Amino acid sequence: MFSLFYGLWKYMFSKTEFHVLILGIDKAGKTTLLEKLKSQYSNLEGLPPDRIVPTVGLNIGRIEVSNTKLVFWDLGGQPGLRSIWEKYYEEAHAVVYVVDAACPSRFEDSKSALEKVLRHEDLQGAPLLILANKQDLAQAVTAEEVGRYLDLKKLDERVYTFQAVSGYDGTGIKESVDWLVDSMERSKRTETLRARAGIANIGTA
Amino acid sequence: MGIVFTRLFSSLFGNKEARILVLGLDNAGKTTILYRLQMGEVVSTIPTIGFNVETVQYNNIKFQVWDLGGQTSIRPYWRCYFPNTQAIIYVVDSSDTDRLMVAKEEFHAILEEDELKGAVVLIFANKQDLPGALDDAAVTESLELHKIKNRQWAIFKTSAIKGEGLFEGLDWLSNTLKAGGG
Repeated sequence: MFSLFYGLWKYMFSKTEFHVLILGIDKAGKTTLLEKLKSQYSNLEGLPPDRIVPTVGLNIGRIEVSNTKLVFWDLGGQPGLRSIWEKYYEEAHAVVYVVDAACPSRFEDSKSALEKVLRHEDLQGAPLLILANKQDLAQAVTAEEVGRYLDLKKLDERVYTFQAVSGYDGTGIKESVDWLVDSMERSKRTETLRARAGIANIGTA
Repeated sequence: MGIVFTRLFSSLFGNKEARILVLGLDNAGKTTILYRLQMGEVVSTIPTIGFNVETVQYNNIKFQVWDLGGQTSIRPYWRCYFPNTQAIIYVVDSSDTDRLMVAKEEFHAILEEDELKGAVVLIFANKQDLPGALDDAAVTESLELHKIKNRQWAIFKTSAIKGEGLFEGLDWLSNTLKAGGG
């Protein structure tokens, strides 16, 4: 009985924890971005960009923003490793999709990988933040242009936005996080995930 | 008090120490990996009953690497070594597809251990030199690595015999440990 109340109390008052997936093809700059996020929002020192190697697995970043906890899952983007992305969809509150805006030759690859992500039903209703990364480079195109290249259809039922960022110098990161927190708090998907977790908790109590 | 100063000193001046457990089924190649890391050469090994322990200095980190015997009968003793472990290197014989199922079960049992909750996980998909060895994506799939959601992990294709992939793995480990990962 006590655990039932405890569960309820926890359910109502504990800080919400959001899971955010960072996806994108290899060399998009996902891990560099994650490290920048970590160093901007926590007192942990992020890895310097020159120490970052291609991810073959999972990197995790935990940050706190105004009473919400964000857990970032950064997954490797090499073609062979993309098959594990979908294993993380079910528990994700939102998706950050990173595009190397300075490398037009890979936009096509980026586009088809993203389309595959968006087709998956486990991600239904998850807010989508598309980042035009590497804005520190002179040849980087704008967020609007990335949007035009990706030419996404059927995004009507999903909250989404484009944002120009640089994982290298930190441009646009704060705006991105603010947008994420705001849209996750308002998203229906969050309700659904919370209800599911709540039921699971009470079930095991 | 002395300990406090020692800790402070070593955290200020880089030379971190980390306790690493090398685990995996028997014949996965744990001992060969250990000595390859430590001496840079291939030694002929016999099945380990008990453990081997060596210190490997790399990237300013002193890795204290414990290689524990992997046979079924002695796996229950692994837990005696769990406290104060910062990282696990889980070694898989990528060519032994028949036993990947068992490797998976042992692996997930280890992850459940309370004393290893904070440890980062590095997987070596070993024996890549053998024909029929599964690649990193396939080993990821068979070990169901995606079930790990609360700690960092990475997988590397290795060949202890040829010396490939091992130090890339240690690079990842030292970066992750320095960044306070887990």
